[in-house]
Amino acid sequence: MQGSKRLLLIGLVIILGLSSCRKEKDIYEVNPEELQLVETSKFKLKTVNQYVAILYANLFQEALSANKLVEINRLFEAIGDDQVAKEILISNFMNDPSVVLPSDTDMRSDPETFIYETYVRFLIRRPTEAEQTYFMNLINTNSDITVELIYFSFAISDEYEYY
Amino acid sequence: MDRRKFLKKSALTAAGSIVMPYILPSGRLFAQTGSPMAGHVVYVLFAGGVRQQEAISQRYLDDSQGVNIPGNIMYNMFNGAAPAAKVVYGTDVPGEPNGSAPISSVLGNTIQSMGTTFAEVRATTAGHYSGLNTLLTGNTGVTQGLKQKPVFPTIFEYLRRHAGFSATDCWFVGNGIGNSTPLLDFSNHDTYGAQYGANFLCPSVAFGADGVEHLSNAKIYHPDEELDPMYKMKYFLDNAFRSNGGIPVPNIGNTEDEKQAIKQFVADMFVKKQAGQITAPPVSDNGDLNTIGWACEVMQRFKPKVTVINLSNVDGCHSDFTGYLRNLHRADHGVGFLWNYIQTQIPDMANDTVMMVTPEHGRNLNPNPILDENDWFAYDHSDANSLRVFTQMVGPGVMPNLTVGSENNPIGTTMDNVLTIGEIFGIKNDILSAGLMSGGAMSLFDRI
Repeated sequence: MQGSKRLLLIGLVIILGLSSCRKEKDIYEVNPEELQLVETSKFKLKTVNQYVAILYANLFQEALSANKLVEINRLFEAIGDDQVAKEILISNFMNDPSVVLPSDTDMRSDPETFIYETYVRFLIRRPTEAEQTYFMNLINTNSDITVELIYFSFAISDEYEYY
Repeated sequence: MDRRKFLKKSALTAAGSIVMPYILPSGRLFAQTGSPMAGHVVYVLFAGGVRQQEAISQRYLDDSQGVNIPGNIMYNMFNGAAPAAKVVYGTDVPGEPNGSAPISSVLGNTIQSMGTTFAEVRATTAGHYSGLNTLLTGNTGVTQGLKQKPVFPTIFEYLRRHAGFSATDCWFVGNGIGNSTPLLDFSNHDTYGAQYGANFLCPSVAFGADGVEHLSNAKIYHPDEELDPMYKMKYFLDNAFRSNGGIPVPNIGNTEDEKQAIKQFVADMFVKKQAGQITAPPVSDNGDLNTIGWACEVMQRFKPKVTVINLSNVDGCHSDFTGYLRNLHRADHGVGFLWNYIQTQIPDMANDTVMMVTPEHGRNLNPNPILDENDWFAYDHSDANSLRVFTQMVGPGVMPNLTVGSENNPIGTTMDNVLTIGEIFGIKNDILSAGLMSGGAMSLFDRI
């Protein structure tokens, strides 16, 4: 009787000891965060190569070949004013049948989505309310505004020159 | 108006003119300090290292190959008879030795007889990039590195800042994009810099095969219906960017109209090139001559206040003396054509343009061991003889038929050209006041 009581006590101590020493499990999680910030925080000027490669990818949805990149870089050296060279290059790209642009009809049917996607595509951020309103008004009140003109303006904007 | 009112208005006007500085549209505060001598300057950087012996000294083969045949192969620029024998510098004639037909003179009178020639000028360096730097900045730039924009302001920046020139008033037409020449359109000086830069153009590349592939199909957007809203959207985006601390992109400040004019020019030149109608000298079988033709197109379209043209083909002298003679002869042909074209084909610039011609440096006294097709030795540029050059000027306000200095009496340096151009445009004192010239630099007009 005495022996079984002792056994019971030892068993109880062991059970309590094991349960009290068990380490609590850590649970790691990621808090939901908005990655596309409204605030602009771009301070590094793109090189000509970076600008052209990114522009090409934005407009054609594919990478520019290394050879073509070298050729275009030489052209930028040959035309001293980068702004002029960029505008000529963009208008050439816009004349290329393989450029990937949404249709003007799509833009006008859902301008809000178009504006959001354009900001994300070119400036890697979502528009502010003021920017959304400006472009909404522009698209809704001006029938001459096209996707091409909007894309062009984004591609020559100062913010697009930085990363 | 009675007398009292008249006096009151006059007094107010006078006081106002004293108290309120006049802000010119260009942004400059005060009118330039001197009177311009001419409306335009064409400045030829000639032509990649020219040995005095074959240029103004007219020694031809006499001082280079031990062949006793002197003569003048630059008879558009200098007075003097052409070599009497062993002509290799001209164009080819079937059945005759190569280069045996000299190119006819374009000008009725030489630049030497029409203008002022500084016969013995000292270059500050024997290197191409540093030499071009000095010709454009008036400074020896001892801290200047290769592949680095000029440390000191260029003539373009002085002119745009102090004479109020626009970006398309200033052009730098290069014959290549090597040797860092595209960097010479403006300096990285913190009080001048990009905003006062020139429009650089290298036509051989811009309108070459790469240009045809990537630039020739450019749309020319309608200024009111397309460009105007496009720029408005850009400015909206820029304002948003700057209001969040974004930095404006540095640029040379072509206005919307100027950018449109350049884009139209580029588009037109592709069409002209396709039709074989680009201006060119009668003989245009090397890069320098084609560059001069393109420069004529730029001048014809924009009537720039200052056009700098960089030539460099004679630098082949490192390995080919015969080729050097041919290219030197062609550079002279090009300069003759250029002056004639300005006077006869561009009414807005005729009789209102000063042309300056200076090599960035000379070449060695003694040859290297490389022999060419005629077994003639080649010449590099590194010794004291490489610092011997000439400068020519012609146009309004330049004394005709005047030669200044001689081999034993050098007068002038390659640093002087910036102040000389400054004097032509009436801003010499503004440039001097900036305090960024080399100590010994003077206007060549002050050296006469």
